[in-house]
Amino acid sequence: MRRRGLWNPLVPTSPFPPAMLFLVILPLLLLPLLAVFIYAFHGGTGTFLDVLRSPDAQFALRFSLLMAFATAVVNSLLGTFAAYVLSKYEFAGKKPLSIVVNLPVAIPTVVVGTSLLLLWGPIGLLGRLLQPLGLQPMFTPVGVLLAHVFVTFPYMLGSVKPVLDELEATYEEAAYTMGASRWQTFRFVILPALRGGLFTGTLLSFAHSIGEFGATAMVSGNLRLRTQTAPLYIFAQFEAGNIAAANAVAAVLALLSFTIFYLLQSYTARRGRS
Amino acid sequence: MSIVLEHLSKRLSGSLVVDDVSLEIASGELFVLLGASGSGKSTILRLVAGLVEPDGGRIVLDGRDVTAQPPQQRGTGFVFQNYSIFRHMSVAQNVEFGLRIRRQPRGERARRRDELLELVGLSGYAARYPEELSGGQQQRVALARALAYRPSVLLLDEPFGALDVKIRAQLRRKLREIQRSLALTMILVTHDQEEAFEVADRVGVIERGRLLEVGSARELYARPHALYVGTFLGASNVLVGRVRQGRGCFGPLELPIPAHLPHPEGGLVQLLFRPEDVQLGEKEPASGSIILGCGRVAEHSFTGASLRVRLRLPLLPGTRQIAPVPGFGEEVLLVDALFPADAGLPTGEVWVSLRAWHILEPQRLRLLLASTPRAPAAGVVLSGTLAKRLDAHVTVLAIGRDARAAATLAARVEAGLQDAGGTPPQVLVHAGDRFKEILNRQAEAPHDLVILDDRRESRGRRLGSGLWPFLERVTVPVLIARGARDTLERLLICIATGEPGKSDVRVGGRLAQFLGAHVTLLHVLREGQPGETERAHLERAMDTFRALGVTAHLRFRVAPSPAEGILSEARERDPDLIVIGSHRPSTRVLFGADNITMQVLARAESPVLVVPLDADL
Repeated sequence: MRRRGLWNPLVPTSPFPPAMLFLVILPLLLLPLLAVFIYAFHGGTGTFLDVLRSPDAQFALRFSLLMAFATAVVNSLLGTFAAYVLSKYEFAGKKPLSIVVNLPVAIPTVVVGTSLLLLWGPIGLLGRLLQPLGLQPMFTPVGVLLAHVFVTFPYMLGSVKPVLDELEATYEEAAYTMGASRWQTFRFVILPALRGGLFTGTLLSFAHSIGEFGATAMVSGNLRLRTQTAPLYIFAQFEAGNIAAANAVAAVLALLSFTIFYLLQSYTARRGRS
Repeated sequence: MSIVLEHLSKRLSGSLVVDDVSLEIASGELFVLLGASGSGKSTILRLVAGLVEPDGGRIVLDGRDVTAQPPQQRGTGFVFQNYSIFRHMSVAQNVEFGLRIRRQPRGERARRRDELLELVGLSGYAARYPEELSGGQQQRVALARALAYRPSVLLLDEPFGALDVKIRAQLRRKLREIQRSLALTMILVTHDQEEAFEVADRVGVIERGRLLEVGSARELYARPHALYVGTFLGASNVLVGRVRQGRGCFGPLELPIPAHLPHPEGGLVQLLFRPEDVQLGEKEPASGSIILGCGRVAEHSFTGASLRVRLRLPLLPGTRQIAPVPGFGEEVLLVDALFPADAGLPTGEVWVSLRAWHILEPQRLRLLLASTPRAPAAGVVLSGTLAKRLDAHVTVLAIGRDARAAATLAARVEAGLQDAGGTPPQVLVHAGDRFKEILNRQAEAPHDLVILDDRRESRGRRLGSGLWPFLERVTVPVLIARGARDTLERLLICIATGEPGKSDVRVGGRLAQFLGAHVTLLHVLREGQPGETERAHLERAMDTFRALGVTAHLRFRVAPSPAEGILSEARERDPDLIVIGSHRPSTRVLFGADNITMQVLARAESPVLVVPLDADL
């Protein structure tokens, strides 16, 4: 018999719904993740390390990390600037602009890749003008960076702008009355308040950049040892029937994502407490 | 470090939030700006700090015109209601912020910081972070921070608003102490009368962006000029009577009017007395006392230090009560009184008399004349007549297709009004839609009556299609002027418009009272005789006229429709003014043919006064 005093009528106690949820989640989410790791070590740790030591895999992982890092840096500058302008300034066309900057989340990444090609590619709108100058952003690391910045920009903006919107104008005004210039106010008052948002935005940009596939596949040309990112490598190896190589890199990527996810989680939890 | 404000004005999103404010604050003075929320007091403070740019006027700090300077160069200290302490900085860093910006050496900064933290009673808190402090402590840090760089003036925007009562009282004392010891020039903004009285050297009362009155707390409380000031500062009783032979008459009570407040004969006069000046007696007070009458206790409440009593007395004839606000349909005089807590409550009838009283400055009716270039004559003549007879203040809203047309019109209307006599009008020039401009103006500064010119474009469409939506939205009576009448002696008040209104009778009656006009109360019938309830309703309307001292007679008319009845009556008698009620949007009739007000407006030759539901004059 239940002890009546502790029984809360609003909390259902039946064990079946949680069990059902677990049964659904298991094959949907948990087992695939597990499979990556099981297959990665299928041929033993030796094979796993051998694959990772191969120049192609090494390059792909390093290139992905470099791109993710560069994307995060470019985005934190661009995103903060965009958030500041969109949040503090009043100008014609502000509304359509704030919709447009968030558009990349809604567009399929392959479409992003295509449109970048159509703009910057050798026969693209702008690319055509650059071609004679010997400048060709597509199928180079610059093209990959362009695609990644495009795709992850809304995540940075979405992390920073709400913080700025909620920061009451009186903080800036207080700084102004105390003699601080607009720049000093930004540097000493606004920027420190944005730390949390910047951290989240950077991690999100980083994570999305590492895993980016669709747009990268279009703009990079998938040139091994030149523009092949880790996800492209995995796909290429898989297609070539080289399952072990694909799995090893996939396992590393998964591990990276877990780490970033854990950092984000622990950060938000800490924020929630304070 | 004096502060001088000259004719400051500021418009925010179309409405005037600071309206021609001039003020001088002496060096070392603690000045309090007191007003309800939304009165524009904070905007004035922000104008002084340079956080808002004025649309007009000048700001002079210590003899230096700072109007064009950015906030950084004005050197003011500002304390915000939400403290605005920088959360990522320690208390020390917050206090030193202004000094760091000014590149003061580290040692100097630390010395000043310790000095200030001691001043606000927070020494030992330097290393703490804002989230470790209570609201009161944060506000003290904000104060220290604003004082650190030795600002010329200190501006405080509701600094204690977010704190609880006990801390608030404590901080007020602290602030006063600091202000005295440093001889600071300070402006404090608050909506709390008690706070204002406690700390201020002088208080300025703000209403709708206008600085109504400035003075010491004692002066403003005992001898306010404006009704708003009198009622905003503490509890008060206000009665409106009439001027007869130079004396204020409130029923049988006759009080002398002070010489410095000339009231026009026959006009309205307002009497204010404070609850603590009311005295009760078992026996009739000696002759020569100011006796309000004999009444009973209606309610009472114990507040700790005192006993609040509301008394119910018979109405003083010919007197209207403004405060305390009487309940609907209550034909009594309510008097609020305040006694020491140990005073006994009288049980039976008591005599109520006054120990002290005060006559307020005469309040004039405000008319808004909206003129368009097509036919300004009628409105000008009528406004001139009304302004003279009602001793009203006229605002002219000249609306033209463009600014130049409006300016020419304004000059013409102004000249016309001055010919008609009366005080010079205030003139505003606008280009655009006149109905929209009138509503905007009403939102900024309410007038008691709006006067419109009839444009006479073509039969039936004289006033344009915007009139009806306008009449639905406006909350004050609207007079549509036509013809060049300058007599207003016979009023036709029509209460046949569907739901018989009370406001049309009240407003028409008051107007007749002001003008000394005769009223015909018209009731249109489909057939036969009026029913029982209709008769009773008409009798009540006639009672209203009698109470106002207006001569009136009742008239029935049989007609196929109310509008036909009113129009044929108007054709036969040619009244100087037709008074008619207006529907609310909710009861609006969708088909124009059923809209009596619009039919009368379209076809009558006399001027028409349209009275919205719940309007008053």
